[in-house]
Amino acid sequence: MNTKIKELRKEKKISQEQLANAVGTTRQTITSIEVGKYTASLALAYKIARYFGLTIEEVFDFSQIDSEIEPE
Amino acid sequence: MEQFRKKIKTRMLLISIVLLVFVAILLYNQFGASDALKDSLAFSFQCGLSASGSLVLVFWLVKNRRALSDEAKLRLLYNQENDERMSAIRAKAGIPMVLILSMALVLGGMIIGYFNETVFVILIGVALFQLLVSLGVKLYYMKMM
Repeated sequence: MNTKIKELRKEKKISQEQLANAVGTTRQTITSIEVGKYTASLALAYKIARYFGLTIEEVFDFSQIDSEIEPE
Repeated sequence: MEQFRKKIKTRMLLISIVLLVFVAILLYNQFGASDALKDSLAFSFQCGLSASGSLVLVFWLVKNRRALSDEAKLRLLYNQENDERMSAIRAKAGIPMVLILSMALVLGGMIIGYFNETVFVILIGVALFQLLVSLGVKLYYMKMM
């Protein structure tokens, strides 16, 4: 899943380590989420979004998931 | 975080107890064991396992002690232990079940080793094999996830 975490971090001038400490995870997990290797749980996604003062949809790209939903 | 601090203290107590058991085994093997016992393969394995286990436990004890005395290190340890990605990787690698089964096999092997060396080698071999497979799976998923 694509995310805007890297860009948001750059804007705020914070490192992966700082973000990881703030949301209660490890630097490696933040790296994996940024490169799309790992999809964060709902709780972690919420924490990250709240950290940046945004909603989950504004940080994480759900377009692929949206395309998988069958219209009524 | 106070809950985690209590957990670390309990863990340190358990590590200390196991460490004392290992040291007692080492002392008995060095000074109390008969010469006939010292010839067996199981005895040599027990000595090696106790010595290496003691070293690992001392390292672990120091790591936890340092975390308790430093808030930043405690937070880091908490994050490492509660990291959801690592939890998922550990689950894929069969942890903790593989560790529990391996410990049971090693313990069984050490007891049976005094009666039958072939069974001892097989049990220890199986334990090592499943630990290696679990480690391999863990490393694979650490790269993939």
